Amino acid sequence: MNAILQPHTHFNKVDFKPKDFKDEKTPSFWCAGCGHYGVLTGLLRALSELGVDPNHLVSVSGIGCSSRLPYFVNSYKMHTLHGRAGPVATGVHLARPDLAVVVSGGDGDGFSIGGGHMPHLARKNINITYILMDNHVYGLTKGQCSPTSREEMKAAVTPYGGMEEPLDPILYMLTYGATYVGQAFAGNAKLGAQLIKGGMEHNGFAFINLLSQCPSFNELDTAVSFRNACDEVDPAHDISDRNAAMQVVNKAKQEGRIPTGLLFKSERPALHERMAELVKRVGGHKDYDLKKIIDLARP
Amino acid sequence: MQGITKNDLIIRIGGEGGEGVISVGDFITQACARAGLDVYTFKTFPAEIKGGYAMYQVRASTERVYNQGDIFDVLCAFNGEAYNMNRAFLRPGTAIVYDSPSDFTPDIPEGVHAYPIPMTQTAKEMNNPRAKNMVAMGALSELFNIPVESLREVLTTKFARKGEEVVQGNLKALERGRELAAALKKTDPWAIGTPKSKQEVIVMSGNNAIGLGAMIAGLDFFSAYPITPATEVAIYVAKHLPKRGGTLIQAEDEIASISQVLGASYAGKKAMTSTSGPGLSLMSEMLGMAFMAELPCVVVDVQRGGPSTGLPTKHEQSDLFLAIHGGHGDAGRIVLSVENVKDCIDLTVVAFNLAEKYQCPVLLLSDGSLAFSTQSVPCPNPDDYKLVERKRWDGKGEYQRYKFTEDGISPMADPGTPGGLHIATGLEHSESGLPSYTSANHEAMQDKRFSKLKTVVNDVAPAEVDAAQGAGTADLGIIAWGSTIGVVREALQRLRAEGYNVKGFYPKLLNPLPAQQFEDFGASCKRLLLPEVNFLGQLAHFVRAETSLRPESYTICGGMPFTPEMIVNKVKEILA
Repeated sequence: MNAILQPHTHFNKVDFKPKDFKDEKTPSFWCAGCGHYGVLTGLLRALSELGVDPNHLVSVSGIGCSSRLPYFVNSYKMHTLHGRAGPVATGVHLARPDLAVVVSGGDGDGFSIGGGHMPHLARKNINITYILMDNHVYGLTKGQCSPTSREEMKAAVTPYGGMEEPLDPILYMLTYGATYVGQAFAGNAKLGAQLIKGGMEHNGFAFINLLSQCPSFNELDTAVSFRNACDEVDPAHDISDRNAAMQVVNKAKQEGRIPTGLLFKSERPALHERMAELVKRVGGHKDYDLKKIIDLARP
Repeated sequence: MQGITKNDLIIRIGGEGGEGVISVGDFITQACARAGLDVYTFKTFPAEIKGGYAMYQVRASTERVYNQGDIFDVLCAFNGEAYNMNRAFLRPGTAIVYDSPSDFTPDIPEGVHAYPIPMTQTAKEMNNPRAKNMVAMGALSELFNIPVESLREVLTTKFARKGEEVVQGNLKALERGRELAAALKKTDPWAIGTPKSKQEVIVMSGNNAIGLGAMIAGLDFFSAYPITPATEVAIYVAKHLPKRGGTLIQAEDEIASISQVLGASYAGKKAMTSTSGPGLSLMSEMLGMAFMAELPCVVVDVQRGGPSTGLPTKHEQSDLFLAIHGGHGDAGRIVLSVENVKDCIDLTVVAFNLAEKYQCPVLLLSDGSLAFSTQSVPCPNPDDYKLVERKRWDGKGEYQRYKFTEDGISPMADPGTPGGLHIATGLEHSESGLPSYTSANHEAMQDKRFSKLKTVVNDVAPAEVDAAQGAGTADLGIIAWGSTIGVVREALQRLRAEGYNVKGFYPKLLNPLPAQQFEDFGASCKRLLLPEVNFLGQLAHFVRAETSLRPESYTICGGMPFTPEMIVNKVKEILA
């Protein structure tokens, strides 16, 4: 008892090809040419490489185009409310730390309506993998500005052009204290898979921003423009240096470039480990006699 | 010792927050309960963090006490403010013990028995200025027969951690207070009676009792966000749940806490959150999902004065509309409400059992006056409670999470179950969980989710009917819920003693409303009265909507509970 359970227990359990992780029951949902297909490809490849037992994998999402992703993954899954995938996934994971938990969602889901949850996933170091499918637009509601939309974007509710500065999810996650931060173009499924695999192996909160084109509602950020703007981070970059990671991002932004690859990784105890330590410290166990607790209330 | 023994005595202690008012109240409560008296306390805290007026009222009796009582028999005033705050409640016969010499000289009304005790001065003379409250407590125990041996025991136990010197210092101040009081001539009739028998009891607040009930029920996972007056539930659980190997997390807001609870529930664990009205408002959307995705969860709402930020530290029963119908779409919930501390334990267990059985949210309504009210309750034995686990899939055939069944309850599969892969979703879905928006499917699924709740009424003890033996049709029946029930019980006792033909009806299950039980009670009364502490008459509204009954509403919303006297007067007015 009191052993700290880890998802890794369920890795290398199956010899599945990526397609074996594909749930075929739900018909395709996304538009032709949508970047989210690339995210799915990367995720399935990562799951295959990890050999994770689907029975011990839980995919959690909120609301949006991207949040349909769990329907296409062979796993236990929850399709929750707009913005709430993070805390729901936290509950799944803390209740059953042995399960591998993957969250997927869009930029609006994660950084607008769900923005209040992001700092706490990171600072508490919740041992889940969060894949942001960032297409800089609200797609399911047919094209409104999102928190990552370019300022100049003309969209349904901003017919004369936007007026707001976009935020950079990577800079936020570095600041919030995420212990694994990576970024890739969704069309680069190989890099996506590599980052997701690393994130799932990482003990702590892993955040992966996958830039994904929306051919239907975002003309400014196309597959071509994303691909051409991406630069893999210099192999000499010190991934253990949070400030260096921020500098890489800031420098690239000034040049209109997008740094990709693993930008930051560090180790500190995840929340479930601290909780397990606490239980151990108070001598806690499932069969602890309740009568001892009740006796404390005797006058 | 002079004085007429009174079986039922109410002592109110008032002073500046931080002067030890609350400790004196706690010590007296503990000592009385230890000696075998029934206790029921009521306190108000200053809204300010430091200073301000603090009040603690202890009602102790040789008989069962159901509420905080009408008004105090004895006032202990630590300062001028405490005296002034309570000046209006002094009646002929009230006894007042007050600090003198001090910064105030009370104008004692005619017929009030006054006992000046040099509390501050004595404590200073003893080089123990913080023991002012002990001097006061000693005087109270001498004057009103508070079981002193139990007081000494409680005090010794409480201060043991701080060392022998502190124990002796406090005991000495207590004895000095007794001597000072003994030197005064007792003129009032008040004295606590001698307990008949000694029972195995515990003394707990409503909030702590909810935490204990949850652990008896097998709580695995708790998430909450701080909010008055519900925070103590989390504090209690935080202290004890790790001993049982459970998980507690303080979430970033109430939306996150209910989200985490549903995640944990999906993962197969018994999970709960506790909050007050504003937090419950924030949880509304996720509670809709819990109904839609059929996820068991328990949500405690310790109601406070609303709307909006309202009166955070005050008592109200005004979240019934929100509890039953808050949220969009047609969504169902089970709603229970507690009368007293014993219910806080027992009905929390029932709440978990119902959540597990019916795979839906169960809301447990408590209220501000119960939150901090400590009461003596029979010591519970965890082995006496029947616990229910959710129906789990037997692994046979192809798994369908939302399979149509005769009773509408579809077996669940915890993650990790081979062959049980499925999705829990807030989208309307088919039996397999996949999105399905056809009209036939939505109607069938809504029917499934609602019809399974039809048998809930059989799983909760029927609403108690409070009637004298052999009573026929009553001239008036009173329907009450929450902590108002305890007030009505006593009011009915007094009314019956005066020859009135009255009955009470005390439902604890408020949704689905046990309509037939209401009808049966209504049929046995000529008129009906429904007192509740809210402006709109919320339960009366549901009773009118779901039964043929037309109870007369009696509502107050001044931040305080009803007193038995208010109910008695109202009934007399109606039956006059």
